[in-house]
Amino acid sequence: MLNLEQQIRDAMQQVAELSDCKLVEPVKSDTLLLECGLDSLGYAMLVAQLEEDLGFDPFTELAIDTYPSTFAEFLAIYQLCADNQ
Amino acid sequence: MQSLIHQLINLPTTGVITSSGEHGKVTDLIKNADQIRQHHPQIHQHKIALQYTNLTQFVTALIAFDGWCSEIYLCPPNVSISQNQLIKWPIDVDTDNTDLSVKPLNSTSSDVAHTSWYMSTSGTTGEPRWYPHTFLSLSASTKYSSRLQTLCWALLYQPFRFAGLQVVLQALLSGADLVDVADYEPLAQMAFLKHADVTAVSATPSLWRQLLMTGQLSELTLSHITLGGEIADQSVLDKLKRLFPSAKLRHIYASTEAGVGFVVVDGRAGFPAEWLEDTSLPVALKVSDKQHLLIKPSHQICQTLAQQTDVQGYMDTLDTVQIIDGRVFFLGRATGTINVGGSKVHPEKVEQILLQCADISQAKVYAKKSAIIGELVVADITIIGSANQQNVKQQAFKMCKNKLQRYEIPTKISVVNNIAHDPSGKLNRK
Repeated sequence: MLNLEQQIRDAMQQVAELSDCKLVEPVKSDTLLLECGLDSLGYAMLVAQLEEDLGFDPFTELAIDTYPSTFAEFLAIYQLCADNQ
Repeated sequence: MQSLIHQLINLPTTGVITSSGEHGKVTDLIKNADQIRQHHPQIHQHKIALQYTNLTQFVTALIAFDGWCSEIYLCPPNVSISQNQLIKWPIDVDTDNTDLSVKPLNSTSSDVAHTSWYMSTSGTTGEPRWYPHTFLSLSASTKYSSRLQTLCWALLYQPFRFAGLQVVLQALLSGADLVDVADYEPLAQMAFLKHADVTAVSATPSLWRQLLMTGQLSELTLSHITLGGEIADQSVLDKLKRLFPSAKLRHIYASTEAGVGFVVVDGRAGFPAEWLEDTSLPVALKVSDKQHLLIKPSHQICQTLAQQTDVQGYMDTLDTVQIIDGRVFFLGRATGTINVGGSKVHPEKVEQILLQCADISQAKVYAKKSAIIGELVVADITIIGSANQQNVKQQAFKMCKNKLQRYEIPTKISVVNNIAHDPSGKLNRK
């Protein structure tokens, strides 16, 4: 079983290829999501892909106070939702 | 009803438009519009196809043409319009046949009675459909006040579409400033919004989510927040309310076809069910047996929409709604049209592309809900015989990439055994 971070990174790569986006290298913890190379359609696809892979969508299931800005914040939201499953 | 130029001239103050880093005073745009009228007498009382170039030129042309030309077609870039007797604007210098011997007209003395403004929506076949509006109907909700005059609006929508034009007219007619950031990425947009001290923003819920993702939205001092073009969900409304508790938070329902809409100001998704059958509202509303929202504007609906209109004058918006606990919530389009962050996708168009793949026998394209962008396009396909599923999917994606806009491409294609049809043989879109 891959860890959550790796699953998210794999899904990002997959979505980038599918949506003709190019991810920045490397995506670090403090990299801004809007500077990773995915646009809003790309993020929507990423969340949909992760819902397939993981079985949950934190943006629908959790009452998130603020949207994530960085990769670390994005990961933390998925971690929180995974812990609640 | 006064034309746009007359209303602007009569305002106590007018604002400044900033586009591509350049500032243009509306008073100067009025002068330029007057020059256009004088130097191009051949456009007087003619039909104009206004091709979008940039915001300043676009607004100058609107000021020049309203009340002066008989019809204005607001053409998105790359949308051509095939109709005779249309003068294209900006005039191509190579084909300009301005007759310099024609005496310039006095630009204020011979206005046409009223100008029809035509806006396009993309039709099922991809061909644009044009709907007429008037300056009166388009500016019905705009007003001037000394408070509104101090605002600085950001334009995040394309101004030749209904929502964008509303922002442009609101800013112009209230004497406020307007900053065009429509063509930039969210982080660049935020930089412009901060630099210009923008105080009023109108955007789709998806655009608002992107601005929220920048983590910088709280650095603005917003007093007017408007959401439109997509269904506004409670989650995005709540986030904006938390960031800007004293701002006026409004979400707008608009029908480009009917040229009307209404505004919800209580910060809650949907609208109060008591508005249904309330005839004192500017737009009368009811829900049909099929759970479609019906609207009846105070002005006459254009002929094209007659078949969508019942004997009492209510037009079927084809938006499906559900009433829960005294609130009317929007569910989506009855036509199956998918709204990807404000961009409309006709499933039939995507299905036709998928069916061009030799190994695909049936295709059904539909929406998948997305908390990020409203809806995503997904597709089910059935494949012929023993074709390799993975190869067919790859072929289908490739075909879609070549022939569709990015937001129209299915984000997921699933191979299924069977696709349901109605007894009439049509795809079951429910």
